[in-house]
Amino acid sequence: MNNVVGKILIVLQLVFSLCFMCFAGAAYTFHEGWKNRATTAEDKLKNTNLQLTEAQTARQQLEEKLTADVKTQTERAVMAEAKVTGLETSLAQALGNLANAEQQRDKHLADLAIAQQEAQARISETTDARSENLRLNDRVVDGISVRRTLEDQVLELQGQNNEAVRREQANIEKLERLRGVLSKNNIDWEEALKGPVLPVSEKVNGVVRAARKNESRSAELVEISVGSDDGITKSMRLTIYRGAKYVCQIEVTEVYPDVAVGRVIEETRNGTIERGDNVTTKL
Amino acid sequence: MSQQNSDPTIYDGLMFVSLGAVIIGIVFLVLSLNGYGWSSGG
Repeated sequence: MNNVVGKILIVLQLVFSLCFMCFAGAAYTFHEGWKNRATTAEDKLKNTNLQLTEAQTARQQLEEKLTADVKTQTERAVMAEAKVTGLETSLAQALGNLANAEQQRDKHLADLAIAQQEAQARISETTDARSENLRLNDRVVDGISVRRTLEDQVLELQGQNNEAVRREQANIEKLERLRGVLSKNNIDWEEALKGPVLPVSEKVNGVVRAARKNESRSAELVEISVGSDDGITKSMRLTIYRGAKYVCQIEVTEVYPDVAVGRVIEETRNGTIERGDNVTTKL
Repeated sequence: MSQQNSDPTIYDGLMFVSLGAVIIGIVFLVLSLNGYGWSSGG
């Protein structure tokens, strides 16, 4: 009986010993595998932690940068808001100015319309004034023509006046001479003026030697072939004729012994004086 | 006291085999403990 129990215990001891060996070997084997996996996981964890640290550092830097940017943007926003406020104020002021400008524009437009009406009226007045000016210019031109005509007449009258003065002077000289002659002959010249004019008793005949205009071409002068030796005196009137034709009368202005010069009296002219025409004191 | 003269049996061999298995198991356990920095001196 003891042998049987001892044998059973030995077999059981053998079985448990083998089981123990197997479990110990399995534990060792699995332990190695898990150790390798733990080492690998630990390395991965280290890398992950390192990456996490780098990411945190980068995140910190990014946060700092973003903070700075946010601060800058905030300042810019504040400045922009201030600018916007200023611009809004300026806009309000500009709108006010625009309203004033529009009022002034409307006022100026109204003034412009009035000015245009006035300008139109001035244009009409100017047109009328131009027409009047042209008419006055025509009248001025006519006046200038009339003035020139009158100046010509004045010159002619001055020439006639000068001739009249010269004749008056000659008459005065002649009168003085007659007064001297009358005094020498004991004749009162006042009494002589009261009596009748004695006619020329002697007839004198001559011919025209030359006839031409004086320097001013206001009168025609005639040179005749008789003079003081023939009884010709200044202011004596002589008659010029050609054959049976009466030509004109002349008034003696210069007297020399055998020649005299006379001025044609235009009122008595009946023709052109030619050299050789006859001159006589009586027809 | 009677003296028994008996030859080793199979069961004696099995006893040695189980001893060897226990020793091998102990070696595996020691190796496993070394993986955790275990030493025999405590």
